[in-house]
Amino acid sequence: MKPGGPRIACVTAAPEKRDFLKAALHALRPEFYPSAAAFLGQCPSPVSRLAVLDQALPDMSGRDLAAALRREISASSLLLVLLGGPRSSPAEISLGLENGADDYFDFPPEPGLFRARLLNLLARGRGASLPPPPGEFRFGGLVISPEARTVAVGGKALNLTALEFDLLAYFLRTQGRVISRSVLLEQVWKGGTDPGPRSVDKRIEVLRSKLGPAGAAIRTVFGLGYIFKI
Amino acid sequence: MTPQPKVLIVDDEPDYLRIAAKIAAGAGCAVVTAATAAEGVALGARELPDLVLMDVGLPDGSGFDAARALRREKRLSSVPVIFFTVRSELDMVREGLSLAKVGYVLKPFDPDDLERRIREAVLPS
Repeated sequence: MKPGGPRIACVTAAPEKRDFLKAALHALRPEFYPSAAAFLGQCPSPVSRLAVLDQALPDMSGRDLAAALRREISASSLLLVLLGGPRSSPAEISLGLENGADDYFDFPPEPGLFRARLLNLLARGRGASLPPPPGEFRFGGLVISPEARTVAVGGKALNLTALEFDLLAYFLRTQGRVISRSVLLEQVWKGGTDPGPRSVDKRIEVLRSKLGPAGAAIRTVFGLGYIFKI
Repeated sequence: MTPQPKVLIVDDEPDYLRIAAKIAAGAGCAVVTAATAAEGVALGARELPDLVLMDVGLPDGSGFDAARALRREKRLSSVPVIFFTVRSELDMVREGLSLAKVGYVLKPFDPDDLERRIREAVLPS
């Protein structure tokens, strides 16, 4: 790798992971951070293009850090790789990927394979360098523009109330996580005039109906609340 | 005999309060709970917990401010805090981590991760 190549941020406090990453990625100029706080102190770095996040950081899980980075527009082009324990469960891996990681490895991975997959990610990241229109999200036929506060399905604009739009935007920001009714009341209704959890159910029913087939992305999780998942 | 570590949990949402209390009790801690920032600060000054689990969006104010208020109590000046919250904006995470020292956990949380953080914070290594 020539000196101007991609720089990789490695966020881990574990000596064995640090030693592994140093050896496996020495040609890619890795930079090391011992905690989420230390990494976020410099993020988004103008030179880091990929971050390897230890799943068990001292101050935050790698999965939560990935989720926080993913919703930040300034860090949206950063490629994220999670490094788990020796035998992560399929559920742990799925959750990591659903929360925004681009790849997930048990530790220790085979060094050559690990390096090759990171290089592939970096290459594909370069290939996909055309940014989407600012603030626009596309999920199949569903297009949401938070700045313009517009939603379209299959090219046809939808007429959503302000509250329905806020609800959809909140689901977008928290996709893949179960959200309880009381959290929706706190975060979307913000103590407004809607009186209680049943009104959340009613609004979601209306929103689903307006979204048509795309409304199926808002799923009910029995006894807990809702999850937005495409 | 080592005294049982005490955890103060402050959250206005009963579901999360109940689950977090169960996890902390399972980690061998005595648990005291509060549903507002003011109640949490008053209870903390009285109970002198070994660890605080604090929601960020409380009905009467910010969990960050409540943690700062707790730390102004001399005997709690270095009490570890874990924030658990739905707020994942990077500025919030940065502020939380600078205050918490121990952890910032996004809701809905992974019970194993929360239990591990509680154990590491209160139990001798």
